[in-house]
This record gives sequence, structure tokens and C-alpha cells, in this order.
Amino acid sequence: MDRFRIRRWLTLLAVGAALLIGISGCAGGVRPMSWMGLTIVEEGLVAADLQQVRLLNVSDAAPLWSFPTDPQKARVGTFYVTPAVDEQRVVVASQVPPTGFLGQPKNVVWALDRKTGNELWQFDDAAGQYVEGGALGGGLFVIGNSDHNVYALDAETGALRWTFKTGYRVWATPLIVSDTVYIGSMDHHLYALRLSDGGVRWDFQAGGAFAATPALRNGTLYIGAFDDKLYAIDAQAGTERWRFASANWFWGSPLVYADTVYAVDVSGNVYAVNAETGAPVWPQPRPLETPVRAGPVLTEDGSRLFVGGQNGTLYALDTKDAFVVWSSESEGQVLSPPVVSGSVVYESRIPGTYRIRALYVDNGRPIWSYPPVAEQPSK
Amino acid sequence: MFDILAYPLANLMLLLYNYLGHSTVLAIAVLTLLINLITLPLTLSQQRSAHRMQELQPELEKLQKKYAKDKERLAQEQMKLYKEVGINPMGGCLPLLIQMPIWFGLIGAIRYCIPSTPLELFQFSNHIYKWLPGVIGLVPLRSTFLGMDLGAPPNPAQWWSYALPILVFVTTWAQQKLLTPPTAAKTQSQAGAMNQQMQIMMPLLFMFFTLSYATGLSVYFVLSSAIRVGQFYLMREGQHRQKAEDKEQVRPKPSE
Repeated sequence: MDRFRIRRWLTLLAVGAALLIGISGCAGGVRPMSWMGLTIVEEGLVAADLQQVRLLNVSDAAPLWSFPTDPQKARVGTFYVTPAVDEQRVVVASQVPPTGFLGQPKNVVWALDRKTGNELWQFDDAAGQYVEGGALGGGLFVIGNSDHNVYALDAETGALRWTFKTGYRVWATPLIVSDTVYIGSMDHHLYALRLSDGGVRWDFQAGGAFAATPALRNGTLYIGAFDDKLYAIDAQAGTERWRFASANWFWGSPLVYADTVYAVDVSGNVYAVNAETGAPVWPQPRPLETPVRAGPVLTEDGSRLFVGGQNGTLYALDTKDAFVVWSSESEGQVLSPPVVSGSVVYESRIPGTYRIRALYVDNGRPIWSYPPVAEQPSK
Repeated sequence: MFDILAYPLANLMLLLYNYLGHSTVLAIAVLTLLINLITLPLTLSQQRSAHRMQELQPELEKLQKKYAKDKERLAQEQMKLYKEVGINPMGGCLPLLIQMPIWFGLIGAIRYCIPSTPLELFQFSNHIYKWLPGVIGLVPLRSTFLGMDLGAPPNPAQWWSYALPILVFVTTWAQQKLLTPPTAAKTQSQAGAMNQQMQIMMPLLFMFFTLSYATGLSVYFVLSSAIRVGQFYLMREGQHRQKAEDKEQVRPKPSE
């Protein structure tokens, strides 16, 4: 091929590549796919930290173990979802990028030894992405997938015990209570499934998708949906007790403390609602003026509420009057729920110089940031 | 950058979905049709320009032969010819450039309504026009069509979903073929060779693109190309009919 023709082809390829980058980039293609997740355990903080799952020492963020030890060599993909933990294991999910142009991404559930981080088993049968983490209970690990299925795996071996097909994607973490799995689906249904075989006990239909995990108190489930409503549902019968109207979708999970349900809509309005009646506890919701993806978390004494915003700010609110006691801003977006342990709150963010930060509950003063400066990629 | 267009278009798609029996494919089809109607003056101008360039090819070829060794003179003569017949050689590019933001906006709208990642959905969550009737609770749109998930890329579990990128290739190729001057493609000139390569390159690029993105986008590309092919045929037929009528008027009637 002469030089002229080679140059012509190269020009065409460059034009084509620019067009494709234009289409994908402008339409939102070159973006992170999801958010990372944190879980606190006795020995540390388990983080699904994109390239690795790590157990970090809570006092100084020193990694106690990492899986895989060398992410460059191991093709394990990117870990996004909140880790599920029991006495023996940490269970996470990742998406392994495709090999070759026509290859498909692989979606894998990994069970790791909680003490060492060594792999115990993996499960890669699901066709879609795992957007949220699963739950461990009754010897099973239950997780929803974008391929519309709920998967129940043997927690010991990873063997598939049962699947339940919903009408659309399952982007919610299930709640397991004794012999029942409660899980919401994008098909607008909240399902109560038998833990033993995945059979349906009841299903509740809302006017929008469910992407949150229900909170349970005194036989009532509390969950918000994409129809701008927060629902109280009888956990036994699956019937509606009350509904509370908000300004926008509820994506994050609500939480219940004493007689109050706390929830945040995606516009950043924080609500406190009476758990029995659905009546507002605060005269007005607290607007945070930033979109909020994740639900709130509380301190152990129920006095302070933490909410992370897309603007990269972590807010601490007084639960009595919704007053913002402090807020701490940093690079990136806080899209996963923070984790509170004693006097410390941990938050994760993407993308950002620091992916995890530990702050004092009382005043928001930073204790440590992760990764440490030496490990940060040079700008 | 194109979200300023993508958000209104996504809301229009929600409205259409609500009134079209909650059918995502119908909503995409009608939205594509509407966009094509709005951009019709631009596409017609582009297609007319392409058609006139096709008609001008024999003249241009003569010039290329005549001034094969004098590129500067060739360019001058070509410009003179364009001026004489009233063609702007860039007339085909400008409408295309104006339409590009609308295409990107529409692609964004489809991806917001049937998102393949949670971040796309979250980004759209604060841009839904709640005052539109029936749009609350609609997102993400139900995206199953012929057993395929329109919000996910083609995959082996739904092997028939690969038919859509192939259709994208075929329809884009047909569109390219119609808009490329046939004689230009046959010539050995640089422009002719470029045209010939573009006829294959563009459909291939679009096919590869649709292999890795939601199949809902393939529906849009197929419909869009099919509409443009139809438009081109109609426009060409109209021009031929007009020419035939003109000839009829010029020819003296036997009675006269």
C-alpha cells in the first residue's frame, strides 16, 4: 500500500474515532459506571475500592488485606457494590471488562475470607451488572442483578440455590429477616420471597421503581420509590399502611429510629416522618440543595444524621430540628451511604483525590484520608 | 455539553411513552420521526446539494482530466463551475454540522430514559419535568422489545439482538451510498477514493458503536437512516418529475 493510501486511511480512522468519541462522550459514555461501597466490621472497614477490596484499619487506614493483591495481574474487574459481611466471609461483586471488541463484560460475585481476604468462591452466571450489594442470611447470599433476576447462592460454596425473575432490573440490596427476603425491583414491585426456595409470599406494587432497601420496625417495612412516595407496608401481609408524598424519587434507603423514619429524596430534601402515621415530624423538610443518591445514616444515639451529596459535601444534621451542624466538602461526589462507628463517620467518594475519609462525628474534623498522599496518582 | 438538548428530548420521550401505550420502541420511533421533521429543511438542503453534486460529476470529471497536472487551475475551474450552477460545495456540510448537536441530544435522551448504568439514571433524576402529565414514576422506561433489553448492549444470551447493529450497518450504508456521487466513487481521484472508503467506514463505525451501547440506540440509528433514505428517494423523484414536466412544457405541441 502506498504512503498516500495509508495516510488517507489514517485520516479516515481519525475522523471516525473523533466521531465515536463525540457520540459516546457527549452522550455520557465516558463516565464511571457506579459507586463504591463501605461496610464496618469489628476488625476494620471493608471497602469495595474499585480495583481492590480492602480491609482498612479504622485508626490509620492501613490496609490489613487487599484482594487481589496485584490488581494489574489479576483480571477481577471493578468492585462497586457495598460488601456484605458475616462471621466468616466478605461477599462483593465486580464487573470484569470484556476481552476483545465483541467480548462481553463478566459480572462476578466473590466471597473472600474475612480474616485473610483470600478467595473462597466466585459466581459468574449472571448476565447483567450488579448495581447494589447483596445480603447474607440463613446460609445464603442473596443479590439482585440487572438481568432482572434475584440470585440466592449457598454462602459456603457459592452454588446457585434458586433464582427469582422479576419484570425488570434489580438494583436494590435485599433485606433478609428470618425466613423472608424483601427485595425491590425496577418493575415497580417490592417482593417478599421465601428464603428457602424463592417462592413469592406477597408483592406490593408502587407507582415507580424500587431501588432502595426497606427498613423494618415493629412489623412495618419503610421504603421509598421512584414515584416520589415513601411507603409504610405491613411486613406480613404486604398491604399499605400509609404513604408520604415527597418532591422527587427516593433512591437511598430510609432508616427508622424510635418513632421516626428518616429519608432523603434525590433532590436533596431530608424528611423526618412519624413511623406510625406518616405525618411529618419537622415542620419543613431540610433542603440540602444538591442531588442525593444514598440514604441517610444515624449516630448510635440517634442525635445526628449524615447525608452525602453529589456536590461532594457530607452534611451532619441535628435530628431534633434538621439544623445542619456541620458540613465537610471535598473533591468528587458522595453517592454511597456513609458508615458510622462510635465517634467516627466514614464516607466514600468518586472520583476524587481521596476515595475514603474518616471524620469526627461531633465536628467533621478529618481524621484520615485514603489513599494516603504517597499512593495518589500524580496529576 | 449536549444535555441542554438531551433533557427536553428525554422528557418529550417520556410524554410520548405515556401516550403510546408504554411502548419504548414506539416512543423512540415517534421521537425520531419528530426530530427528522424538525430538521427536514436542513436534511433536504443537504440532500439536494448531494444530488446536484451527483449531476455535476461528469462535468467535474472532464475538468479533472483537463487540468490533471495543474491543481490550482483545477480548483479555480471547479469553483467557477459551482458558481455557474449555483452550488455551494460546503452546502452539504453545514446542515450536517447544525444537525449534529440534535443527534447527540437525542442519543443522550435515549440513554437517560433507558439507562444502562445507575449514574446515567441518577443524573436524569433531577431533570424530569414533573408538570408533564403522567411522567412521574415512568423512568426507567420498560425496555423489553422482542425479548431484547433495549437498555443493554447486544449480548449472546439474546443472540438475535445482534441483528440490530447489522441493520444499523445496512441502513447507514444505504444512506451513504445514496448521498455519495456514484461517478465520484468510481474515479481514481483522492476525493473519489475517500468517498469510496467513507461508504464502508461510516457504517462500520456506527455498527461497532451500537455493539457496545444500548440497543435502544440502534433502533434510533436504523429509523433515522431509513427516514433519510426515504426522504432522498422522494426528493429525487420530485426533482425528476419536475424536470420531465419542464421538458414537456418546452417541447412544441403537435397541433401548434
